[in-house]
Amino acid sequence: MSNEILRRKFFKYMAAAALSALIMVGPFGGGTKAIAQAKRTIPTTPIRIGEVTFLTGAAAAPFGIPGDNTFKMCAEVINKEGGILGRKIELLSKDEAGGVDAQVKLCRKLILDDKVDAVLGYISSASCLAVLPIADELGGLIVAYDCGTQELMEGQKSPFEVPKFKLGFRSKAHLGIDNVGLALFIKKYYPKIKSIAGINQDYAWGRDSWLIFETAMKKLMPQVKVVKTLWPPLGNTDYTAHISALMGAEPDIVHSSLWGGDAVTFTKQAMGMGFFKKIRMAYSRGEPYPQEVGKEFPEGQIICCAGTHYFLYPPHDKSPLNKWFVEEYHKRYGKYPTYPCYHAYQAIYAYKYAVEKAAKLVGGWPSIEEIADAMTGLTFPTPSGTLTIREDHNGIEDVLVGITKLTPKYPFPILDPKRLEVFPASQVNAPVGIRTVDWVNSWK
Amino acid sequence: MWVVYTLNGLYFGALLFLISLGLNIILGVMGILNLAHGSLYAIGAFMAAWTIIAVGMKAPAFLIYLCLLSGFVLAGIVGWLMEKSLIRAMYNRTLEYQLLLTFGALLLLEDVIKMIWGGQAYYASAPFDLLGKINILGNVYPNYFLFVMAIAIVAGLLIWIFMAKTRLGIMLRAVSLDREMATGLGLNIGGLSTFAFVLGSALAGLAGALVIPTTPALLGIGMEPLILAFIVVVVGGLGSLKGALVGALLVGLTRSFGIAIFPEIELPLLFLIAGIILVAKPQGLFGR
Amino acid sequence: MHVKEMLKKPRWVVYLLIFIALLFIPRLLSLHNLMLFEYGLTFAIVGLGFNLLLGYTGLLSFGHGAYFAVGAYAVAMIGRYFPSSYAMEILLPAALFFSLLLSILFGFLCVRHTKIFFSILALALSMLLYALIFKLYYLTGGSDGLRVPIPSLFGISNAGVRRPAFLSGTYYYFLLFIFALSFLLMKGIVSSPFGKALQAIRDNEVRAELIGIRVRRYRLYAFSISGLYVGLGGALWSFVNGHVTADLSHWLFSGEIVYMTLLGGFGILEGPVIGAIIFTYLKLYAMSNTEYWMFVIGATLIALVLLLPNGVAGAVANLWAKIKKGKAAGGTSC
Repeated sequence: MSNEILRRKFFKYMAAAALSALIMVGPFGGGTKAIAQAKRTIPTTPIRIGEVTFLTGAAAAPFGIPGDNTFKMCAEVINKEGGILGRKIELLSKDEAGGVDAQVKLCRKLILDDKVDAVLGYISSASCLAVLPIADELGGLIVAYDCGTQELMEGQKSPFEVPKFKLGFRSKAHLGIDNVGLALFIKKYYPKIKSIAGINQDYAWGRDSWLIFETAMKKLMPQVKVVKTLWPPLGNTDYTAHISALMGAEPDIVHSSLWGGDAVTFTKQAMGMGFFKKIRMAYSRGEPYPQEVGKEFPEGQIICCAGTHYFLYPPHDKSPLNKWFVEEYHKRYGKYPTYPCYHAYQAIYAYKYAVEKAAKLVGGWPSIEEIADAMTGLTFPTPSGTLTIREDHNGIEDVLVGITKLTPKYPFPILDPKRLEVFPASQVNAPVGIRTVDWVNSWK
Repeated sequence: MWVVYTLNGLYFGALLFLISLGLNIILGVMGILNLAHGSLYAIGAFMAAWTIIAVGMKAPAFLIYLCLLSGFVLAGIVGWLMEKSLIRAMYNRTLEYQLLLTFGALLLLEDVIKMIWGGQAYYASAPFDLLGKINILGNVYPNYFLFVMAIAIVAGLLIWIFMAKTRLGIMLRAVSLDREMATGLGLNIGGLSTFAFVLGSALAGLAGALVIPTTPALLGIGMEPLILAFIVVVVGGLGSLKGALVGALLVGLTRSFGIAIFPEIELPLLFLIAGIILVAKPQGLFGR
Repeated sequence: MHVKEMLKKPRWVVYLLIFIALLFIPRLLSLHNLMLFEYGLTFAIVGLGFNLLLGYTGLLSFGHGAYFAVGAYAVAMIGRYFPSSYAMEILLPAALFFSLLLSILFGFLCVRHTKIFFSILALALSMLLYALIFKLYYLTGGSDGLRVPIPSLFGISNAGVRRPAFLSGTYYYFLLFIFALSFLLMKGIVSSPFGKALQAIRDNEVRAELIGIRVRRYRLYAFSISGLYVGLGGALWSFVNGHVTADLSHWLFSGEIVYMTLLGGFGILEGPVIGAIIFTYLKLYAMSNTEYWMFVIGATLIALVLLLPNGVAGAVANLWAKIKKGKAAGGTSC
């Protein structure tokens, strides 16, 4: 070929390459993120909060949707009262379904692309474990509202440095309170039992729940034997084999941290197989299920409320806030609030009070680090009592444990008011910097 | 309790048998591995749940049980639509394209289910509750599980008779044994393939419908059964109906006893069994 | 080939220009988009390897996620159990080693079979790995997965460096460099006699056997090399994602690998690269704009198979060929 033609071809290809480079770059040009100035005025734009919880799937009806409802309800109430320092809250409601990997990407997108002021959410311990490190990685404030694994904020050995994440928080206590509480309750009310078993989901939440419960039981009731432990995967739908296996092992009490749709499915299948005639369940997070299952939910089962979150506690004459919360939620959604609702309240109000506290100190709209500083050590009133968020960025709470009983007043079993126990926070929360399992092992 | 473990294994095996039977019929007659088979299971489940909830608790018993059949029917219809639109287009193409198409169909159908029925769980336990319990050798056992086993046995027998004795069945077997020869003999390959695909899909839908009284209909409910069906097919042998039966029973019983005796192991145990069988007999127990 | 010869061929000029353009990407993209691009690059490496098996050897595996998972978990587990050895120089070779090992093992079991059984077996084996990773909770973190911290790179410690800084700086260039190497290597493999033999096997297995090609052995080689590439992609991906889960070995993820290879076009070398980049953005775009993103992906897959079976790159190449033919017919003579 002649030089002329070669040259023409060369330029043609160069143009193509340049064009393709431009096409790749064009829509994405826009470069670096503008560095936010730490202004000391208060903006008038709304506060954007990313809110992530299960909107579809098995966990949606008992957990995610009540949580989502409550976030929306609280945001509306706060906005009606003028917002936070005059700024209205704008909630971006997102689905926690789709797996851990999708959640990691979603959280990054919320912080980097949607540029939210804070991310509140996460029910699944798996989501939390994966997402919370992103807070410090990307400089975004993340408040976990419902997940329970104590591993989230604990180190590899005791004592460990706190906080684990500068910008990551959990506006509630972790599963330590549920499982220690259950053990204390069983010791008091069923001191003569001989054997226990466990059915827990096979991931951090289930494994850790059983670990703390078993450790506490060994300390409190060393004569009790463990006859079986089962580990169905999260999202398992067929429990027939598991139910039969438990019935075959003949334990007195079965511990379970099953939650969400799994707990409902398990309970229904167990009911159908005559399980509850022989065995008593101790649900470490059982509070929503009597209402979910309805009148047929068996009596005499031990239920722990993930704190003191129960629509009848504190009694409405003692806590006007609880009375308002229950009535408002029931008015809007036709059901009584369950513990995910209480947790949602805690998360969004933790943010509100932290912002207000920080703003007073700095005299204007606080930066994310300043809000985080204010949230550490924050104490504020909630419908369940007072919540404190400690230096380890974990909340601490009392825990309520009860036994189901059918009464004519409600269309589902409530907790027998004669056999209700509230264990104070100091009895069920490990001290700062000490791993829960080490703390339980150190009891006399 | 061993009685109960065995019965549970048979129950689970019965469900697996129905799904794998469907998969194997399609695989045998058409040579297609339908990756969307689990979605058809899910469609059967949702349809059954939805109709049972729609007719309500007060409806007569036979109507409630008829609703289970609605899952069978709808899955068959969807299978027919799938075959006419997608599979037809790919008859002369290679295997890869067929697999990819069914994979695309899976993604599509998962969201179609979401579009129609939303993201919530549907509980419909009436068929289970109505049948009550029975006492077997000192153990209380739900009658519903026996009912499911009965349905699976009936379905299996019907299909076997159909394949062995009826003209249509023999033609189907001819196509699955030697497609070219069958074409040469003048058999209506197109019509037979459609029939096979519809039958296979409907069986998947039936299995889905049958779990509804104990399990909620949820998005993604078809994923695990699909994997288990693959294990059964691998163990039993591609395209073999006898293999589907033996494989399903093996997997069901292993799972039931496995959970009772070695609770830690669950799913990997099934793969282990599949692996051992594959090493010993690579085509599966009854494969060609 | 000599450099001068290469430069005479316009294709290499284009490659060089694109490479130079890519060097400027970190300055031009926002952090979020840069991370997406890096995901795309890691998947491009995966696609290159996978296509050796699919496009050039004609074997469809719905189980290559297993090797991706092995590469990614090799990194994460060294991070968890041997933190003092957590350096890129150790991590990448480890990932390569383990993914090669597994792909030889699984490949050996699979290549004994044909078409459908091959595909099912590859799928089943990857699900076996998935089930193992899932169940061995105390070893692998089960379904929760493991974190992937930032490694040291050739002696330069990265302690205290935040991931965004790492990804927009050193790591991008490192990744780009590895990608370029992988691309060149694959081009070499494909153009070599080995590559030609694979294509012969794909086109007509019986004839290939007759002319002396050891079909099963070559298939195993192709399988292993593809597993190696996929494992490399997995390891590199893990640094971008910061987290690994058992889902990486699930067959649905393997399906995504197949999808992006098809999307780009499995008849051409560059196809999977383009497919990987497009798929990364397509998936994100679908996920952020609709809750029915699976429908979108499924529909586009079906449309692709029916309308553009040679993928995007294939369609472009066909178009280009048509234009050239049109010009030659009506244009001036050379």
